[in-house]
Formats: sequence, C-alpha cells, structure tokens
Amino acid sequence: MNEQRYLNLALAQMHNGQWFGFKKDYTGTERMSYENIIVHDSSITKPTEAEVNAKIQEIKDAEADAITKKASGKQKLLDLGLSEEEIKALIGI
Amino acid sequence: MASTIKVDTIQDQDGNNIINENADVITVGASGDTITIPAGATFDSSAATNTLPATVVTTTGTQTLTNKSIATTQLTGTITPSDSTVSLAKLTATGTQDATTFLRGDNTFAEPVAGGITMADQWRLTSDFTGTASPISSNLERVDTSGQGTIGSAMTVSSGVFTFPATGIYKVEFISQFVLNGDCRYYINYIQSTRNNGGTWTQISENRSFIQQTSSNWTPQLVYTCSLFDCADTSNHKVRFDILPVNTSTVTEGNTAHNETFFTFIRLGDT
Repeated sequence: MNEQRYLNLALAQMHNGQWFGFKKDYTGTERMSYENIIVHDSSITKPTEAEVNAKIQEIKDAEADAITKKASGKQKLLDLGLSEEEIKALIGI
Repeated sequence: MASTIKVDTIQDQDGNNIINENADVITVGASGDTITIPAGATFDSSAATNTLPATVVTTTGTQTLTNKSIATTQLTGTITPSDSTVSLAKLTATGTQDATTFLRGDNTFAEPVAGGITMADQWRLTSDFTGTASPISSNLERVDTSGQGTIGSAMTVSSGVFTFPATGIYKVEFISQFVLNGDCRYYINYIQSTRNNGGTWTQISENRSFIQQTSSNWTPQLVYTCSLFDCADTSNHKVRFDILPVNTSTVTEGNTAHNETFFTFIRLGDT
C-alpha cells in the first residue's frame, strides 16, 4: 500500500460511514493528503495530523505483526517436526 | 373570274394519281412517292386532327416534340431513362434533400437514426468508508483522470441519487472494491431504482461476495452488479447504489485518482 492508501484506510477506520472526503480543489501535490481532508459529518471533528499518523502507524504495525506472527508460528511448527509441505498444506506458506 | 374544275382524280401524264378523292377521303400521291413542302411554305394543321403513322417515333435517332406533351396513358411501352439522367428533383418525395438525409421507403427524405453509443458516463467513489451505505451519498465524482473519457451528456447526482440526462434504456454497472483485516461472510451491492423521484425504492440488482482473510492481513475483494434500466421520465426514474457488509468493519474503497468503487452508465437506445 502507498501512503495515500494508508491515509484513506486510517481515516475510514476512525469512524463508520462516509464522514470524510478529499477536496476537489486540492492544495499541495496530492489530493489524498491530510491537508485536503474534508469532514462531511458535523458531529465529527477533524482528527489532528498526529492522530491520523498514529492510526496509520497502528495499521502498519498490525500488518508487520501479522507477518511476524505467521513466520514465528511457522517456525514453531517446523520445530515440532512438521515438514515444509505439511505446513504449507496447513497454513498456506 | 374564278373557275371550278370538278374531278375526282388528277393524274400525271403517265396515269399515276396525284390527287384522288373517294368517299370524302382525299389521297395525295401514291405509295412510293415523295411529297415535298417547299422551304418557306407553311403546313398548318393546327386546327385539324392528325393521325401519325405508327413509325413516327423510331427506336433510333432523336425525335423532338416542340411545345407538345405526351399523356402518360399513351406511353404504353417500357420507358428506360438513360443512365445518370434522373435527378432528385424528379422525385415526389417529401422532406429536405441534402447531404444529411436519405430517401426512406415511404418516399420521405429524413435524417438517419444516429448510430453508435450516444452517452457513456462513469462516476467513482473518491474516498474509503467503513460499514454500510444506503445509499452511497457523498465523495462521488465524474471520472477525470488523464486518459479517462465519457460520451455525451453527464449524469447528475444529488445525495447519492443519480439522474439521467435523457430518457432511454441504460446499462447501469456498479463495481465496489472492499477490504478487511478479517473475515466478512457476505458483502452486498444493490442497485436500487425509483419510479417516483425517490418516493419508493426497489432493488433491481443485488450481488454478493465475501472475504476470507488471507495471510492474516488486509484482504481485498470486489462485487460486480449490473442492470438494464428503463428511464422513461428523467424527473422520476432514477437510481442509487447501496452496500451492505455483514461485518461492519469492512472498508469500501474509493480513490481520487483512479477507479476502485465506481458506477458506469451507458445509453443503449430509446425507451
């Protein structure tokens, strides 16, 4: 995922529904950037850039954690004596 | 003093008839003779009834009938105009005869029915959202990235309700892309239509898909939904698009620069 996709996904994770969008007449080089966020829902306050970045990092960490856990889990299965073929048949890697 | 010679026949010195009268029929000359009217003389039979010989119009040469007309009832043979001699002005057809019209079977010049697709439009979702949308009501834009194009008049949208630019039969397509870091047993796309400008909505297309998480991570999926739609009244016949994921953490994806979740409208013909 590129940075625009992470930003988009992070914002979507902060509240349900179509609460935000990106300005059509945008500033900067990327329309999908923090400075161009618009909030459609009057009950929601635009998150700070730090809050958005923290959410992006949370997503990235979860992705990395999933990869790490998968690798460690596979290693434990290998340590138990399963073959690569048996592990692939079980968990696909 | 005028004199009168009363005879029935005048002959030359060899005994051949020059003029013969018999029972009110006057015969000038005889078969094989040539009868010449001198130049400068006038042969006026305008007040008479003339019976022309059968061979007066031949199959060869050119005959000119000046100041005369031939009734169509007298033309009993096959008439074959020469090639490239019948002009459009000779036709009784109505309508405008010009470079934009053609002659129909009902003898009318008319504009041809336009061929090909006259309207094709596409809109997309420009940002992600989580959960359901009934309908998808904001962050919608007509595709505008370099290289993308449309044909004819645009759809218009207000609060997620799409209005058609003209009546007709349309192909309406709805493709949504969604993603989840987990499982989603089903995710439904709906195309809904109204015949009374939003008074009531009816599902005209519904398709489902699901996400079964891959590699313990964010996993994408898409749903394609399509319907033909009869828009006979642009003020009342409209469509909108809903999505319903059973796992409300599912994220429907949109993008400002390319199509992820998008809607296509193609006018196929008249209603």
